[in-house]
Amino acid sequence: MGGKQDPTANGSPKSESMGAKKASPDLLNSSFSFKSLKLKTKQQELLLRVSILGLVYVLAFIARLFSVLRYESMIHEFDPYFNYRTTLYLTEKGFYEFWNWFDSESWYPLGRIIGGTLYPGLMVTAALIYWTLRFLRFFVHIREVCVLTAPFFASNTTIVAYFFGKEIWDTGAGLVAAALIAICPGYISRSVAGSYDNEAVAIFALLLTFYLFVKAVKTGSLSWALGSAFGYFYMVSAWGGYVFIINLVPLYVLVLLITGRYSMRLYVAYNCMYILGMLLAMQIRFVGFQHVQSGEHMGAMGVFLLMQVFYFLDWVKYQLNDTKLFQTFLRITVTSAILVGGIALGVGTASGYISPWTGRFYSLLDPTYAKDHIPIIASVSEHQPTAWSSFMFDYHILLFLFPAGLYFCFKRLSDATIFIVMYGLTSLYFAGVMVRLILVATPAVCLISAIAVSATVKNLTSLLRTKQKVPQTGSTKGVGSSKSSSKVTLDQSQPFQKNGAIALLVGVFYLLSRYAIHCTWVTSEAYSSPSIVLAARGAHGNRIIFDDYREAYYWLRQNTPTDAKVMSWWDYGYQITAMGNRTVIVDNNTWNNTHIATVGRAMSSYEDEAYDIMRSLDVNYVLVVFGGVTGYSSDDINKFLWMVRIGGGVYPVIKEPDYLVNGEFRVDKGASPKMLNCLMYKLCYYRFGELVTEYGKPTGYDRARGVEIGNKDIKLEHLEEAYTTSNWIVRIYRVKPPTNRL
Amino acid sequence: MADHTTLPHRFFLSISLLSILAVSQPDLTKELVSLRSSSESGVIRLTDDTVSKFITSVSTPRPYSLIIFFNSIDLNSNPLQEFRREFAFVSASFIANNNNRSDVANKVFFCEIDESSDSEAFGLFGIQFLPQICLVDPLMENLQDKTGRMEEEDVDGTAESVVEFIESRTNLTVGPLHRPPLLSKTQISVIVALIAISTPFLIKKVLKGETVLHNSRVWLFCTVLVYFFSVSGTMHNIIKGMPMFVRDHEDSNKLVFFYKGENFQLGAEGLSVGLLYNVVGLLLAYVTNALVRVRSVSGQRVFMMLAMVVSLLAVKKVVYLNSWKTGYEIQTYWPSSWH
Repeated sequence: MGGKQDPTANGSPKSESMGAKKASPDLLNSSFSFKSLKLKTKQQELLLRVSILGLVYVLAFIARLFSVLRYESMIHEFDPYFNYRTTLYLTEKGFYEFWNWFDSESWYPLGRIIGGTLYPGLMVTAALIYWTLRFLRFFVHIREVCVLTAPFFASNTTIVAYFFGKEIWDTGAGLVAAALIAICPGYISRSVAGSYDNEAVAIFALLLTFYLFVKAVKTGSLSWALGSAFGYFYMVSAWGGYVFIINLVPLYVLVLLITGRYSMRLYVAYNCMYILGMLLAMQIRFVGFQHVQSGEHMGAMGVFLLMQVFYFLDWVKYQLNDTKLFQTFLRITVTSAILVGGIALGVGTASGYISPWTGRFYSLLDPTYAKDHIPIIASVSEHQPTAWSSFMFDYHILLFLFPAGLYFCFKRLSDATIFIVMYGLTSLYFAGVMVRLILVATPAVCLISAIAVSATVKNLTSLLRTKQKVPQTGSTKGVGSSKSSSKVTLDQSQPFQKNGAIALLVGVFYLLSRYAIHCTWVTSEAYSSPSIVLAARGAHGNRIIFDDYREAYYWLRQNTPTDAKVMSWWDYGYQITAMGNRTVIVDNNTWNNTHIATVGRAMSSYEDEAYDIMRSLDVNYVLVVFGGVTGYSSDDINKFLWMVRIGGGVYPVIKEPDYLVNGEFRVDKGASPKMLNCLMYKLCYYRFGELVTEYGKPTGYDRARGVEIGNKDIKLEHLEEAYTTSNWIVRIYRVKPPTNRL
Repeated sequence: MADHTTLPHRFFLSISLLSILAVSQPDLTKELVSLRSSSESGVIRLTDDTVSKFITSVSTPRPYSLIIFFNSIDLNSNPLQEFRREFAFVSASFIANNNNRSDVANKVFFCEIDESSDSEAFGLFGIQFLPQICLVDPLMENLQDKTGRMEEEDVDGTAESVVEFIESRTNLTVGPLHRPPLLSKTQISVIVALIAISTPFLIKKVLKGETVLHNSRVWLFCTVLVYFFSVSGTMHNIIKGMPMFVRDHEDSNKLVFFYKGENFQLGAEGLSVGLLYNVVGLLLAYVTNALVRVRSVSGQRVFMMLAMVVSLLAVKKVVYLNSWKTGYEIQTYWPSSWH
């Protein structure tokens, strides 16, 4: 980057293509050294830029293939299995079947209306890619398409980031932003190959919407606003995080209004985007009429109405020439508008027409809300608040560059930089509340840091070059020129200046190389694990693979009747239906808290009570996940307290203190009697008392918790062991039919 | 403490014992009620004399329970006095909630014993640490008995913990807590008046575009502040209620500021790391943007060197802290042929 010319000296994108033809004479001189290529400087610059972008595009893709290299091409984690299952259904049966699908294989006996309760964007995208490839005669399996969808869209995101960076600062910042976001761990965590989840395409859609909207505000053109509305539609179809857009954009417009930056461009951009985006969003059944009914979307509507008031006032001001008359008019209109709006909101909320905020949204605004009120949200580990080390892990040096970027943005305040600052700050606040929202903040952090890097490097390199091109300094604009020109006039000691600049440059490049190293390491070690296949290091440093999950699911698929119902904690629901092809009681959709609480109650009751519950739900098999043999810590025993809490939230007979001893959760001899005899304990530790897990320890030594278990002699009355995987991670039990005669 | 019970004291005790036995017990309740009504927020200050009068020399079962807060003005401890105020809220709320039910209100009396002035009475209870709250129920004879005490881990300095303690031990309900409003009525009216007076001026300024909202420096400052609080994990501290620092388990004089482990942090560590982020970023911005306008060349040089050294140290510190906290060891991947 240091060697190339400043391409957007006059800021408009048009000038680049034009500029290629009529470069200034002294620029032409420098290109004479490339006689054999016969490229003009502008063309060289374009070539460089395109090849850098191309490399970044490829880099973003291949950095995400670590998971395929280290494991295999497979779908990861939990939710992606549901997405995969629905995509498979979509490609096999077609769109209408998919849209009207009633799934009787989950949430038995309730079932689930799939078409009306999911965001179809991801599945439709993958299916389209699949159909296109088939049309081009590439006969790929749908699974490969699903596995590679996320890296593909991550690559596309880098392109959007480039254009966005160019829009808010210059091409240099755009290139740096593309490079930073290509390997930023905060984004990679959700977009490695196999991570076939909504976020994979949603971040692309989010950034695209923002970019198009900023462009629309800058140009005031209807076509950009239209593009932004369609970007919003894609986002709504892909992820529930669209609520962030529909709140951030109005907030941004409001800030522009307050700071006196109202313009016709803004009016056109926002109105078009809001109205069209809203109408389009209503086509998604899962979202439906929420845009006009739910409290989360009311802010956007309020700002929309406010815009009309602004426009109306402008018009009246134009009509009335008398300022005094206008002042009076202003006062009356504003007061009545606020009054009417307030009354409408009050009446709407009171009559139930406008629904209040959902718990997830509310927990973002009042962070302590979820902890006290909604255990099912608080229980998910990715909903935990973020510690500073997580920020460091996901952003690394971007955290140092961000304040500098903020400073630069304020130095060159425009509609676009105001937007990126607001986006960065709001999303960082939300990222502090929930770990998973680091993802949403990542593009903003990358963009603002890119501004810092680009502006710094540009300043320093222009300083290095001032001696050769003193006459040229006047032609560059912005921060760089003010610095270099002041240098020339103020400072006579050029060598020291150069040394300082070189030292700073070396520092910046050192930091960036550390960033690259960090990102590669994090991607390879932390974010490429599929979590359905577990890996551990053996005693000799060799890699041991635990493939117990798939072993168990295939056992279910091969050895149980096709209409068998499997009860497990909700985490494994999607995987059982997708890989085991069996009906489950609850799954990761968590839409019916009572149903989940019933399962939680069964797991935390004594066996005979649990048997009645399981009979009432027609359960044939019970599946538990147990890490006592391997030392796998996210197993059902460690999740057990959440089952108790969620169960106790609906059925007060389940009381958390019954399972604790002095507020402590124990499984050894000192555990509470209720704990030692509940169904979950029995199923996990059945026959475990006979087993020696670690040399030099007694039998029944639980390696995940590091204790000897308290109840080694477990007898099952109504259930029998059906299958235990090779490392004991998954254990499946058959529910015996009731005895024929008493 | 027991050595203080010298002969004259014992003599005095027995005298007062005799004299009190003569008084019938309903009178004691009446006396407590009148003491309560004359004391601030209904917390009776027990002295050496009154302890023996109302507790030690009354035969069980006593017609009332006493909830005693052990205080020490001499300790000059802020948390303790804070807790004392909370205790007073509970007392006042209890009285207010049960105002017209004398059968309930006269069952429990909130009291206080101060170690500084009434060490004798204080010593009777054998209190080892403060803050401490003790319930003297009607049947309690041995004041050293620890069953009446609030559990050590339950003493967290809030009124709610006191309410929970009382309700779990006495079968009485305290009812909703009445905390005094943050601002008194006169203060509120003054503030309202100030706002009302300043509104026209403010509106005028807003219309002219001269407020702080129009100053980009203020916005810059606010954004950096928001950034600082976001990345330093303040939300984590609020949601999980983490303290700024904790005391070392082994050596109680040592304070622990940094917690080892990925998903938790203490308040102070997040703030200090957040500060380091901002220092480096803002120095970078300053060096490349504002420093060039400084007239003195040597000033530029010195500041630039300083900024570089500080940034280097800050980055090194954060990286070191991060690898220490998470236990990760970042390594590079070189092509295998290079080895």
